[in-house]
This record gives sequence, structure tokens and C-alpha cells, in this order.
Amino acid sequence: MPSSRFPIPQGTLDMLILQILSLEPAHGYGIAQRLEQISKSVVQVNQGSLYPALHRLEQKGWLKADWKESETGREAKFYSLTRSGHKQLQVEKASWVRLTGAVQLIFDEGAAE
Amino acid sequence: MNRILNWFRRRRLEGDLDRELQYHVDRRVTDLIHSGLPEPEARRRVALELGGATQLREEVRDIWLTRWLRDFVYDLRFSARSFLRSPSFTATAVLSLGLGIGATTALYSLIDQIILHALPVDHPERLVLIDWIGFQNAETFGTANLMSYPICRDLRQQKQFFDGVFCRAAITVNFSTGGESSLTAAELVSGTYFSVLGVSPALGRLLTMDDDQVPGSSPVVVLSYDFWKKQFGSAQDIVGRKVLVNQHPMTVVGVAAPTFHGIDVGEVPSVWIPAVMSAQAIPGFNTMLDRRTRWMQILGRLKQNVFLAEAQTGLQPWFKAMLDEDTRRTNISRASAEQRRRFLASTLALIPAPQGHSVLRHNFSRPLWVLFVATVVLLALACLNVAGLILARGSARHREISTRLALGASRGRIGRQLLADSMLLALAGGLLGVVMAPIAVRALIAFLPHNTAANDLKANLDTRLLLFAFLVSLATGLLAGSAPALQAGRKSLDSALRERGGTPSSGLALRRAIVTTQIAFTLILVIAAGLFVRTLSALLVKGPGFDTSSLISFGIKPALNGYSDAEENRLIRRISEELRSSSSTGGSAIARVQLLLGGAWNNSLTIQDRERYITDREVQINAVTPGFFATLGARIIAGRDFNEHDALNVEAVHQSLPVNESGQRTMIVNEAFVKRYFGGRNPLGARVAMGARPDAKPDTEIIGVVENISYRSVREQWEQAYYPIGTELSGSNFYVRFRGTPESAFRSIRAILSNSDPTLPITYFRTLDEQIDRSLNTERMLAALSSTFGTLALLVSLVGLYGVMSFVVNQRTREIGIRLALGATRVSTIWLVLRDALLMIAVGTAIALPCVWALGRLVESQLYDVRPTDPVTVFASTLVLCSTALGAALIPARRASRLNPTDALRVE
Repeated sequence: MPSSRFPIPQGTLDMLILQILSLEPAHGYGIAQRLEQISKSVVQVNQGSLYPALHRLEQKGWLKADWKESETGREAKFYSLTRSGHKQLQVEKASWVRLTGAVQLIFDEGAAE
Repeated sequence: MNRILNWFRRRRLEGDLDRELQYHVDRRVTDLIHSGLPEPEARRRVALELGGATQLREEVRDIWLTRWLRDFVYDLRFSARSFLRSPSFTATAVLSLGLGIGATTALYSLIDQIILHALPVDHPERLVLIDWIGFQNAETFGTANLMSYPICRDLRQQKQFFDGVFCRAAITVNFSTGGESSLTAAELVSGTYFSVLGVSPALGRLLTMDDDQVPGSSPVVVLSYDFWKKQFGSAQDIVGRKVLVNQHPMTVVGVAAPTFHGIDVGEVPSVWIPAVMSAQAIPGFNTMLDRRTRWMQILGRLKQNVFLAEAQTGLQPWFKAMLDEDTRRTNISRASAEQRRRFLASTLALIPAPQGHSVLRHNFSRPLWVLFVATVVLLALACLNVAGLILARGSARHREISTRLALGASRGRIGRQLLADSMLLALAGGLLGVVMAPIAVRALIAFLPHNTAANDLKANLDTRLLLFAFLVSLATGLLAGSAPALQAGRKSLDSALRERGGTPSSGLALRRAIVTTQIAFTLILVIAAGLFVRTLSALLVKGPGFDTSSLISFGIKPALNGYSDAEENRLIRRISEELRSSSSTGGSAIARVQLLLGGAWNNSLTIQDRERYITDREVQINAVTPGFFATLGARIIAGRDFNEHDALNVEAVHQSLPVNESGQRTMIVNEAFVKRYFGGRNPLGARVAMGARPDAKPDTEIIGVVENISYRSVREQWEQAYYPIGTELSGSNFYVRFRGTPESAFRSIRAILSNSDPTLPITYFRTLDEQIDRSLNTERMLAALSSTFGTLALLVSLVGLYGVMSFVVNQRTREIGIRLALGATRVSTIWLVLRDALLMIAVGTAIALPCVWALGRLVESQLYDVRPTDPVTVFASTLVLCSTALGAALIPARRASRLNPTDALRVE
């Protein structure tokens, strides 16, 4: 199992969190579960790094948090995207596309030779 | 910013984080149990997934508050707790820093307000003062940087350099709204004044070029905002109201913006009057358009992109042409060849004037800077003391510090802890200083001269000042903390842990250096205090040369109340008569120029003795009534006093001197005059002429010699010449010798004055003792403050020395115990300790004395009758310092000698 899952690339965790929260507000555990599901158990997220990331994004003003009742009836801290969080997500997506495009270009060049 | 806020809500943040993590753990555990794991196994998995809960929390906390900020806050808390445990140490440190910071802040406040603060107008940095450097050959009314009104008009045409040019003169007028009248500070200004400064009206309009056309044509005034509020209760219908200026009706056209208080911080005008109304505003003044009357300061606003030097060079051709033209005008053509040469050699200077023009600044810049340097030295001393105290604590705490180092704290971290110590002390001291500063400023302002015009100096704290105090506190903290912090970083760990009581500490060398420096600084301050105190006492002993007790002087200006010359003359004669016949007075006389006010009537004289020559410098001239010298108690040492026959000039032609019955003019000179121009020979009978013109006729006979009395100031001794006052008595200064108490004399004199005219403008009214006090204000301020600083510095250094010596004795307890056990005498033990102190005192003194010699130049001009290197003062100060310092060192030395050898040897 460990061999089939590789650790998440540096810096992409923030982007993934923003992406997940752009669909709907969620609490920390929910985000962890969604990350597992979405990445189809391919990407390994260290759950220990999730909370520092959430607090960092909140500190930067991209997320805001409210205590709300969760699906189990207990109070949980729900994160949602702020306006500037939405903007940031667009920026990160765009640069991700540029980066992967550029990497792909280099690979293609190698293949063409 | 957010992060600092986080510090205050960290409790809630922590709670939230706990709940959040707990939620995660509970959900995950439940899920895992559902998927079939036993509970203990599920919990283990969750803990593994999350990593250490403590690490996770730490990581999140670092996001809330950056690491260094958190550490710093913890350091501060740690410092605060440890300070609360040693309150006497803390109190000493905070008090000494507070005194230093408070004094420095107070002086900075004055320096900022008087010297540095730019006017609250548009682009003050482009304002320049235009000054004539050289000989103007003009009659002078005023204090500094004076020029004539026509030159200002000429300069307005220099549009390639200036956006605008204005001129102004500070005066006092008798202002009334019909009923009550009072002497009020005013400024005579050109029509360009407000537009060039860029001041807007709060109400109505300000003065414009339309108010600056024909002399006497614009009877309008603008009020200052504060004056409008105070005098007119902010009446909205003020514009158009009639007021009386020296009994001349004028119309209020507007009120200036609230922030604008004129261009002189020392003299705030209440009223602005157009310069063309100068004849009404200054009774008897009718030479506004004369080029040879200098009475106004001229300021200009440089065009954007024109540099000062460029404008100054560019103006010289025009200026030279004006000089040349001036020499062809009538009155200057009569000047001597020498005067002509000096006149033509004049140049025009531009001086940056973003702060406007101020006589106060002119007079007080140097004393203020001297005092500021003294306070900074005092603050540095306090810093050093706190550094010494922290070092001492550091040595006491070295085991704690070594333990922390051994447990893995970095040296930088320990150093930062010690820096936090000093920062906390400095900030507490700064807080105390900020509380004390306004009180100190108020006390300092009381030392400054005060006239009709209020000054614009404030004692309250503004943001600039708070920022200054904060920065000073930070610098203080850094300075006091850096030495101990560096020291902590240097020590080797194992040696520190192995150290026991009795091993000398390496911090000691540093503390010795600190105390030595303190002694050097202190000696400098004590010597300075000695010099200023000797200056003041020398001036007080010297006195003005006459007996000031039971003398009152007062000034009246009937012309400001609309009196004609003849009416004024009659009034003054009547008052003189009544004063003479009053039972509470023992003689009265009148002088044209007030004594001991800092000003004088100066002119060159032509002397016809065996040959004809011109005085090599201007003589101070006054005109007095017969009996003036007798009233003051100044002796006539040769010849005679004036009598009423000397002053009978019937024709009273303007500017001519009074003649006696036989058409003879008379003069009395002082001893200094005789010494300089007659070499001590008998001057009686020699003839003199006013001025230095070749056609001056020496027709005035010297009839008497009076002993030297002070004229401008107590400090100065100058050649003086006195004329008798003729019939044209105007604006007079009375000198009255009284019997009984000053209070009863004040009452009876006031009764006489209000009897003759209840609304008579009285310019001043005080005893001569008070006048002397006022004239010695600067000296008094320097003496009082430098002695305070000297005493404080001495105390601070003694505490420092005592601290180091006690520390040394503690450190060497075992050694001393061994010495005593081996038979050392008590005297030799005392000597052992004192030797150490003596070395520090000697080195400190050796450093200070050359500094005193070098710094002497800075204070030389403030001294009187004592040189900056005066051996007596230097010797006495050194003696005081050395003896008190030895005394401070003797206490721990005696303690050492009384040690019980057995106890001492047991000390760990």
C-alpha cells in the first residue's frame, strides 16, 4: 500500500483545501475525508499538516471559520472560502495549469527526439 | 497587526483548537471502530496519523504568532516576574531611566518647538529668510535680520526666484473695542504675507495686495483665531466690526485659520495690520518708505525647482545695483568713506526658514542645545548604571543561565532574555519619563522671557514627542542591555557551571569600565554645573552697578492712547511732578531706553579732543532727565549731573539734540568711555558729535563722568553716553526710588497713573530686582539645570561605584577571609578594596579633564568672569567627586575589613 501512494507535493495542499472548500463549507475532519476520497487514495495527506494549513489560510484571510452543528449533531468548526480565498484559488489554479503545461511541454520535447 | 491581536485572544484560540482537534479525533475513532478496529487500536492509529498533539499545537501557535514575537512576549513576562521579586533593584533602575528619559524628552520638546518645528503652512521647506550681510547704514528698530520696507517691494519683482516675498514686524498696539483697551501683540505685514505663506481665512478675508498700496489707506485688521475666540467669544458677525488700534478706528475684515499662529513661536500676534498703517500702529513712526530705516524681517518662498544657492547667487547683481543706486541717494552720500566702503561690500544672504523667524530661537538655540547635550549625558549615565545593575544580577544568576544553556537554550536565546530585561526596564522608565516630561517642560518654559505676546510653547505631549520618548527608551534598553547580553553569550559553559563563589567573574572588567566612564561623565557635568553657578553668582555679585533694592520701573506709552506730542509732554510732566511730591517715593527720573532689557540705542560718535576721531565701535546712548543717576544711586565721579537748564531746546527740531540756555549741548559719559577714548585723561570740556559723518559738528560738551552701570545686560560693560531729555518727552521709562514695601509703592504709583488717565497704556511695571532676575533668566536656567544634572549624575555614579565595590567584596569574600586568617590587618584589607576604586576614579578623572578642555568652547559664550578651564572650579569639582566616590567605596571596604575569617571561609 505505501508504495502506491506518494506524499502530496509541497505547496499543493493549500490549493486542494481551497478547491474542496470552494464547493461547500466543511470542517477539518470532513476536509480530510474529502481529500482521501477525491485523491482516490493515491495522494497521501498527512493529517497532522492539515490543521496548521487551515490555520495558516485563515490567518491569511482566505478562509473564515464558524462553529456550527455538524451532521452528527455536535458543534464543529466549519471553514468556508472568503472572497479573497476565491481569488487566490483562481490564481493558484492558473499557475498550476501553467506549471503542469510547462512540464508536459518539456516531456513532449524529450519524447519527440 | 493581526498577530499582535492574536496574542490578546490566545486563550480563546487555544480553546477552539482543542475542541477542533478533539472533534477530529472522536470522529476518526468512531469511524475506525465502525470499520472493525478495536478501540485502543483505533486511538493509536489516530494519534499516529495526527503526529504528536503537542507538536501540532506548537505548529499552529507559530502561525498565530511568529516565533520570535512569542518568545519575546514570554521573555517579557519572565523578566516582569523576576523584577517583581526584586522591587528595590527595579525601582532604582526605572527611576533613574525615567529621570533621564523625562529630562531628555522635555528638552527635546522645547528644541522641537523652538528650533526644529516647521510652520503649519504649505511647503514650509521653501521658505527663506532674506538677510543683509554687512553694513546697512540705517536706523534700526527691532532685534535681528532687519531690512527696510522698500527693499521688500523690490524683492517682490524677483519673480524668477520667488513665488512671493513678504515682510513683517512684531509690535505691540493698544487695542480696544470701544470700552476696555489693552496692550496687544500685533504683526505689521505686507499684503503678500498670507498668500505667500498659504494661510486661509477661518472667517471673512485675509490681507491682500489691495491693503498694501498707499500709506494710511487701509485701516483694516485680521484677527487670530484664538484672539477672536477669547476676546470676541467667537462672534460670527465679527467681520465688519469697528475696533480701535491706538485710538485709530479700523475694521475687522477676517479671522485667520485656527492652526496659524504667526511665524514666530516666541511671539504670537493677536492682530495682523497692513504695513501701510505703520504710522497709526507705531505712533511717531513715519519712515516706512525710507530705505535707511530697517525694521522688518523679509521672507520669501522659493519657486519650485529653484535652489537656495542658485537664488542667492542670482540676486547679487540686482543687489549690487541697488547698493550702487543707494549711494547716490541723498542721505548716504554724507557717510564717511569707510562707511561707504563697508556699505558697498554688503551681500544678500538667503537662510532656510521653514520654522519662520524667531527672536527666541535666535537667543536660546545655544543654551538649549547645551542643556540637551547635558541631558543626553545624564541619560547615558543612567543607562550605564542599569547595564551595571543587570550585569550584577547576571553574575548572581549565572548558575540559572548556565543551567539553561546546559539544557539546550542557545546563547542568542539567553542574550535575548537579558535584552528583554533591559527593554522592559527602559519601557517602564520611558512611561515614567513621559509622565514627568510635561511638568519639566512647564518648568523650563517659566525660565523663558515673557512679554505682551504670548509664546506658542506647549507642555502637552503630542505624537512626535511620544515617538521620540519611545525611540529613546528603545535605544536606552538596547544600550543598557547589549553589554550584559553579549557577556552572557561569551561565557564558556563548563567553566560557568564549575564556577564557585570566590572565582572572579569576567563581567567585572566590563562593570569596572562602565563605572570609570560614569565617573568621567559625571565629572564633566559637575564641572559644567560649577562653571554655570559661578557665572550666575559672579553676575549677581557684580549687579548692575547701582542699588536695585527699593527701585521700581514702569513704562507708559500715551501715544498709543491717541495723545498728541504736546499732550503727552504735559501728561509726563504732571506724572513726574506727582511722583516727586508723593510721600512714598524718594526720587524719580525718566530714561528714553529701558535698562536691562537686552536692547540699546547705538550710534558712532565723533570726538573732538586734541584731534578729531570717530569711535571705533558704536557707543550705547541713552537720554535721561536730571537726577536720573541720583535716583539710581550711580555716582558722578567727575563734573556734574544734568540740570533743567541743559534740556531747554525750544525749537524741538526732529532729531536735533537739546541745547541749554546758551545754545550749548551737553553730554555725560561713563568710565568705560573715558578709559577707551581718553586713556583715563580728564574728558571734561571735550566736544562730541553724534554720528560719523565728515560734516558732523562736534558741538556737544562732555560735562560729567558717571560710574559704569549696566545698560543692555548685567553681563556687558560698554562705553555709554547720556544726553539730557529735552521737552519732547515721548514713550517714557520711569525709575522711581520708593520708601516702604514694594506693594504699597505699587499701589500709590498706580493711583497716580490712573488719576491722570485711567486707560493709560502701561507697558510694564516691576521692581528693578525683578528686572534683573528677568535679564538673568538664561544664566539662572543654566545654573539651576546644570546643578540638578550634576547632582543626579553624581548620585547615579556613586550608586554604580558602590554596586561594583560591593560586588567585588562579595566575590572576594573567601580570598579576604584567607588573608584575614593569615594575619592581614583591617587597614590593609580596606586598602585592598579601595585601591580598586581609586584606580577607577583616577582613570575616570584622567578621561574627563581633556574632555572638559575640549568642550569648553561650547559653553564659553555663556560664561561670565570664569574661563571654561578655570582651575578653581575644576579642582573643587574633582575634589567633590573624588571624596564622595571614595566615601561610596569605603562602605563595602569597611564591610570587607569586618569580615569574620571563619564565616568568610565557609562561604560557598
